[in-house]
This record gives sequence, C-alpha cells and structure tokens, in this order.
Amino acid sequence: MLSPAEWEVLALSLRVALSSVLLSLPPAIGMGWLLARCDFRGKLLVDGLCHLPLVLPPVVTGYVLLLMFGRRGWFGPLLEALGVNLAFDWKGAVLASAVVAFPLSLRAVRLAIEDVDPRLEGVARTLGAGPWRVFFTVTLRLAAPGLWVGALLAFARSLGEFGATITFVANIAGQTRTIPAAIYTYLNQPGGEVAALRLVWISIGLSLAALLGSEWAARRSRRFGNAS
Amino acid sequence: MGRKAIPPVRQRIVTLSLRLQRQLSDFCLNVDVVCHESVTAIFGTSGSGKTTLLHLVAGLTRPDAGRVELDGRVLYCSTEATNQPPEARRLGFVFQDDLLFPHLSVDANLRFGYERLAKAERRFEPGQIVDLLEIGPLLRRMPQHLSGGERQRVALGRALLSSPRMLLMDEPLASLDQGLKSRIIPYLRHVRSDLDIPILYVSHSVAEILELTRQVLVLRRGEVLAHGDFFDVARNPEVLPLLDEYGFENVLPVELIHGNEGAARCGEQLLRIPPCDRPAGTRLFIGVRADDIILAQQPPVGLSVRNALRGTITSISAAGATRLVTVDVGHKLVAKITPEAVDELRLAPGGQTWCLMKTHSLRLGPEID
Repeated sequence: MLSPAEWEVLALSLRVALSSVLLSLPPAIGMGWLLARCDFRGKLLVDGLCHLPLVLPPVVTGYVLLLMFGRRGWFGPLLEALGVNLAFDWKGAVLASAVVAFPLSLRAVRLAIEDVDPRLEGVARTLGAGPWRVFFTVTLRLAAPGLWVGALLAFARSLGEFGATITFVANIAGQTRTIPAAIYTYLNQPGGEVAALRLVWISIGLSLAALLGSEWAARRSRRFGNAS
Repeated sequence: MGRKAIPPVRQRIVTLSLRLQRQLSDFCLNVDVVCHESVTAIFGTSGSGKTTLLHLVAGLTRPDAGRVELDGRVLYCSTEATNQPPEARRLGFVFQDDLLFPHLSVDANLRFGYERLAKAERRFEPGQIVDLLEIGPLLRRMPQHLSGGERQRVALGRALLSSPRMLLMDEPLASLDQGLKSRIIPYLRHVRSDLDIPILYVSHSVAEILELTRQVLVLRRGEVLAHGDFFDVARNPEVLPLLDEYGFENVLPVELIHGNEGAARCGEQLLRIPPCDRPAGTRLFIGVRADDIILAQQPPVGLSVRNALRGTITSISAAGATRLVTVDVGHKLVAKITPEAVDELRLAPGGQTWCLMKTHSLRLGPEID
C-alpha cells in the first residue's frame, strides 16, 4: 500500500508529533498554573507572548527559531558546546512543532486548572499536604481531562506543522520531511499526485482521530466538573 | 480494623490568642481576643468577616499584621516574621460546602490527612472515627453519591483524622435542612467532649450555637462587638439586633417522660412537646423562637396553650421597638415583646413571670448525650 519512503514519512511524523507533545506539555502545565492561579505585574504581556505562535505566520516563528537556535544563531555556540544539533535534524522539527503547538495546550491546561476549586487546594493544605503535593495530587489530578485535551490538540497541531519547520530545519527526507512536507514535495514532482493523495488521506484520518479524542476528553472533564 | 473506643479525656484549657488586621474590600478586619473555651462560636451577619477570620487563623489568607498563638505556639507573627504554612499549623478546616475531593473515594478522602502524619502524631485510627461518625457503609462510595449530611460527616471525619490541634468550622450545617442539622449536632458534641479538640465554630444560627456552647464572639463589620457568655453578650443592645436578624431561637434542654405523648420535664417543670418515639429518659434540646413566647403575670386560665414555665426575669433589653426579656426558668429563655407589654405587665428584673409556649411552636432538636 505505502511505499517504504511513505512509511518513513509516517513514522517520522508520529515521532516528531509525540516528542513535541512531551516537550511542550510540561512548560504548558507550569505556565498554565501561573496564569490560572497567580496575579503578577506584566501578566497580560506574558499571556500575549505565550499565545504569539498561534497568530504569527509560521514562517516568522521558523525564522525566529533559526535566528535563535540555528548554527550561527544566538544560542548556536551554546548548543554546539552541549553537542546538540538542531539544524536539518528531526530534533529541530520537534522544537518547531512544540513552539507552534504550545499555545494550544497552554489554553486547555489553563482552563482546566481554572476550573479546579482553589478551596479544594486549601483543604488539602490544612490536611497537611505541602504545595507540591497539593499540586500533583489535587490540582493536576482534577485537571487531568483538560491535560488530555491539551495534549491531543498539540499532537494534532504538530502533525500539521509545516511553515515553521520548513523555515527552521528545511525539508530533508528521513530527518525533517513530515507528512505536510512530503505532500508538498510530491506535489512538486511530476506524477506525485497519487502518493500525495495517500498522505492526504492519512493526514485527515490522524487529525480527525486526535480531534475526536480531545473532544471525548473535554466531555469527560465536563462530566467530572458537574459531579464535583 | 481495630475498634478501640476512644478513651474519655479531661477537658484541658485551650488558649487561642488572636490579634489580626486585614484590609477587606470595604472594611478592615481588626480582632484582638483570647479564647479559653473548648468551643467558641463566632457569630455575625454575612459579610462581617467571620469566614475571613477562620482563613487567617488557618493560614489560607495572610493577615496584614498581627499575631496568632495556639497554646503557646506562634502560628503567625508579623513582627517576628513567623508565618507557618497551613500544612504546618495542623488546624482542621471544615467548610460550609463539604469540599470532599471528587476524585477520591470516601475512604481515600478520610485518609488524605491521616496518611501524611507520622505514626506518633496520629491520635485516632480511621476505624474509631468511622464508628464515631457512623460512616462505615459509605467508605467505598464516591463523594458525588452521598447525601448532604453524609458528605458533611465525611468532611468532619477527614479533618479529625488529620489529628488537628483545633477544628475551624465555617457554617458546616448551613447547607443542611433542620432535620439533618439535629442529626449532626450530637456528633459535634461528641467531638467536643470525647476527643478533646477545641473548636472555633462560625455560625449565624443562635440555636445551633447554643446547642454546642455558651461562649460566643460577635463580629460586626470586622470588629469584635462582644465576647463572652451568650446570655451576657445577648444583653448588649448592639448585639441584640444582630441576633434578631436571623430569628432568635432559644434552646431548652429537656428530658422525655413519655415520648409518644409528648411529655417532658424541664428541670422541675413539665412541658408538652410534639410527640416523638424516643425512649423515656432521653435528653434533648427543644427549640423555641423568642417571637413565640408569651409572658403572663399569672398561670393561664381558659387558654389552649399547654405550656407555662415559671421563671424569674433577669434582664430586659431594648432592641429598636421591641424588648427582649430574659427569663430564668431553670435555664435562660429570651422572649420578644413590645415596650407597651413591658409597661402594662410591669415587668422588671427580679420579678416573677410565666412563659407561655404552644406545643406546636416547639422544635424537637438534637439529643443530648
């Protein structure tokens, strides 16, 4: 059905998308908690900066990443000293996807944490649990369905990531050629439409599954919220 | 599970000293009191700062300045920069809404605080508290499948199992109906007398307070208006209108002579109460609203009213256009009457009077253990 090259594209896409979820979720949880529970000066600005990748043209995001993490970028020497190479590498694709998907998971996580009654956290404190324990056993536990929503949305967004990735780490078979980049490549080849179409169907299927999954998680969280 | 009964303990003297300031949206909470009683009720209308006061004591809200000390341990002090976090204060908090953890079973809720205690710090075992509060059949259920009264009992049990040095209760019965309240009060009385845990109890129900304690602290717009024995405090002309705002209900301890016939004894005097099928000798509280008591110069003749308790007037206070007459019938009762009636009957402190009460204006309250 699929050619070896297409299987490679599919496997790489899934690997990049999963890794980008894992990379973006922890900061989304931290930032989501900060925005949901704390008031501080410049909160609006932080909020805006976090959501910037959602509205920026992806090519701008990719170019900024290149300026920062490219070989001759601001952090280039540091990365080189650490032995990390992002340019033209699948890890660079993960970073690009994670940055683009971050606002989506942040939104879901923040809403989920805002829905947790802070008085439950207060009760847990009076029962002898310290702030970290309360965060993990009460806040995150009750926000869990929202975290799933965020993770699945981020996953779907990562699968579709094209502009930032191709600007930052180009379109290299086996390294950075994910489904969208592969479709783009096939469409530019004579006779590539059939292969492109197969990937289009796969892309639609995967994205739909992720969206349905996140909708299911959102319903679960609402049911949980009503019951509590 | 080991079901060792909890051994009775002698009431020790509690000393909770509070000196707290905190700016709220439209007034400043400013409290400076020392409480020695095992149960102190905090009374005040909504928005008087009662709940904030409990949050400040628990460490859930930070005061602007002041000092909180419980039995010699400083929990908060602005000048010494001491501020113990809530988890270190070991104060059990019971909220108006039970606030059980919705993702945990009743059993796991109960053990939440217990499991965080070192073995040597645990004063009670789950089995003992489960027995005391009679929540054994609920252990495996999830909180959303409990009734209001059950949830509040579980919340109380959860707080008790964290072996608190003091219980802070914020209108724990406000969301329950009268019948359930009467069923929960005896558990609170057990906590007070059997477990030796002092309680700060916020409420705006006079009856609820009197069923638990005589010691009351009255808050108005963040200031302590009065503090002391309820019947002394109630004579304060500024306190009376507050007590009256939610309907002043007296409570009277009685002993059943014959439950089905509604015969009961209040001290030496007999009382007709609504019938109830409880055994003779049961002691319980009877609620009677200050509005529902009629004062008479003589025992009634040719009236349908069944009850006439003889007593001595101890005080008469003015609250706007009404007079509140406190009568000692072996237990103090407050009757609300008009100034004209006071003049006409020539009521004065030290004088004798009869308190008339219709049987059906009496509320059967919680049993007294």
